[in-house]
Amino acid sequence: MVGLLEYAVIGGILYGLFFSLIGIGLNLIFGVMRIINLAHGQFIMLGGFGAYLLSRDLGLNPLFGIPLAIAGAIVIGYPLYYAVVPRLQKSHDPEMLSFILFFGIAQIIEALAVFGFGADQRSLPGDALGAGNLGVLGQEFPDSWWVAVLVSVLAIGGLYGYFARTKLGYATRAIMADRDEARATGINVDRVSAIAFVMGLALAGAAGVFVPYLLGSVSPDIGTGLTTTSFAIIIIGSLGNPLGTVVGGLVFGLGTMLMQTFYASWSNLVPYVLLVVIVLIRPSGLLGKAVRHA
Amino acid sequence: MAKSKSRIAAACVAGAAMSALAAGSAGAATAPAVLKIGTLYASSGSFAVASEGQYQGLQFWAAGVNKAGGVFVKAFDKKIPVKIIAYDDQSSTATATTLYNQLITQDKVNLLVADFGSVLTSVAVPLAAEHHMLLIDPTGSGANFFTKKTHYLADVSIPASTVWPIPLGDYLLKQKIKRVAVLYGSNDFDASQANTLKAVLAKGGVKPVYFHGVPTSESNYTVLLHTIAARRPDVVIELGYPPNDIAFLRALSGSGLHFNMTFTIFPGQLLALLTKNVGAKTLAYTYTYPTPPLVKFSHVTSGLNTDDFVKTYTAAKHEAPNFLNAAGYNTGVIMQDMLKTAPQFTQISFDRALLGMSGKTKTLLGAFKMTDHGAQLGELLPVAQLVPQGKGNKIVVVYPKAKATGKAVYPAPKT
Repeated sequence: MVGLLEYAVIGGILYGLFFSLIGIGLNLIFGVMRIINLAHGQFIMLGGFGAYLLSRDLGLNPLFGIPLAIAGAIVIGYPLYYAVVPRLQKSHDPEMLSFILFFGIAQIIEALAVFGFGADQRSLPGDALGAGNLGVLGQEFPDSWWVAVLVSVLAIGGLYGYFARTKLGYATRAIMADRDEARATGINVDRVSAIAFVMGLALAGAAGVFVPYLLGSVSPDIGTGLTTTSFAIIIIGSLGNPLGTVVGGLVFGLGTMLMQTFYASWSNLVPYVLLVVIVLIRPSGLLGKAVRHA
Repeated sequence: MAKSKSRIAAACVAGAAMSALAAGSAGAATAPAVLKIGTLYASSGSFAVASEGQYQGLQFWAAGVNKAGGVFVKAFDKKIPVKIIAYDDQSSTATATTLYNQLITQDKVNLLVADFGSVLTSVAVPLAAEHHMLLIDPTGSGANFFTKKTHYLADVSIPASTVWPIPLGDYLLKQKIKRVAVLYGSNDFDASQANTLKAVLAKGGVKPVYFHGVPTSESNYTVLLHTIAARRPDVVIELGYPPNDIAFLRALSGSGLHFNMTFTIFPGQLLALLTKNVGAKTLAYTYTYPTPPLVKFSHVTSGLNTDDFVKTYTAAKHEAPNFLNAAGYNTGVIMQDMLKTAPQFTQISFDRALLGMSGKTKTLLGAFKMTDHGAQLGELLPVAQLVPQGKGNKIVVVYPKAKATGKAVYPAPKT
């Protein structure tokens, strides 16, 4: 029993850290722009397909999907930002309008993915991220899990470095605190927001590279489910606070894995029950204060 | 006397009029110019691969009969071309409900065919009954559909899921395997199989060491496998849909765990998809229920036999068919026979025709045996093992003995 508990806890932490990466792009975009990217899961899915194409057609390691995701985010993100976000910001209710607009974008991306890749599941070579298992406290997990966690930690750490150590990061935090005040102080809000938007998409695409390893396969229809889970994670942690996403991811991962171990049928109910409980007890999320006083 | 004569005459006239009315109602409808067959398919979502396969099989059948001038409809004593009216439900039961309704009430289809699988069929069953339409159900095999007598449901291409695991359970008992773990999706299709398997095993005094449902959307099996391994089972049986099977087998491959026997459903139906995603090496020595065309039926009373279907389909579509293609085609063949034998062009007459065909019809999927609850009992699915051959795997049927093509490699070697 103790062994099972240990395995579930370690697995939950690893799974949760990966899901922090899954959710953080959505939270970054919301935090900076106050818009809800309902196509977030579809960008994760595109990241998975990017890695799949690199692996299948060029024989490259799927990890090359990460630079591809960054490049893709730049190519798609900038035009998309300037085409959509400034107009949304001028509207009387950007949050609600973004909800509707990005829902449409999500549907378009999914339909295009079906046209391009077909509706069926695709996977990446099982041994491309290592064919063995690595253990902590005697509990072993596949190498691919550790690689996914390492990349997640590096990406989230890099995001913190960006916020804490770069001028653009300071400007981004200023916009997160108050968009109008930031503009008044001379910050080029659109330019900084566009960079944050691209970063959000890049983080989503990078997470997608590991989806076939942690979630079995990638297919055009996985986006909506991933967006929903990301939402639960960032609301549990705190909307707009990237650190909250890590906390939300860990709560989600631990809750899911503990339930899988001890009451499997209820495992996918956990994040949503936690969501309801946390919203009722602490509406701003577990780290809600941080965002209000940022 | 005159009065009496006039009464007799009046009675004769009334009788004649009633006879005429009765005859009129028997052939009341005039023959339609085309026979409208309404169905749904999913171009996206969890069921897309299987659903499109089934739809392509039905289209293949329709193209074949239209080339021959249509289907013969006994009620009108003539051949009528068929037209398939199909909508995309995107694997969503909510969308499917609206679209089934549209097929029945707006398009006024003559025959209603369900989409793939129990989930997308589940919403059509009550709708069809409400509108007094016979639902031709190719692959929705959930046990809950067949709990009472009905004229409005006919499972035609796959046995009810309650009977699927009977040979598997018998096989495990014959092999004297005692430690069995069962992990199943929490949906009617998988749960009813799990419960049947549990009941079969119980008759042999075997209680599963692990028996749990997981959400149908489950995609991470690593921790679940570890929990199962802690119970030290000899056999792990995973009952899910294709995305579940893929995620389960990949997690098993990456986990470093090994069991003497592993069973999943869909390698026996969508072998190419599973091989593409999981790899032939990981699939090696996995057990499954093999379905046509992986197993063949040569002697048929209706339509093409399995071999001829494979040849004709491959020539027409330039790709080898899978089970779902065969199931879609078989659905057409069964409807064709039904129309050929139903004396009236009514839904109840169609249902009676199907019951009349039951036990006398053999198709590329084997025997057609339908109960008055609409459940298909036809061919029980045998148990097979995927055994390495060249760069891939071949299907070796290991049970029942009468259908066996080889012996199982047990315990499965580590690959």
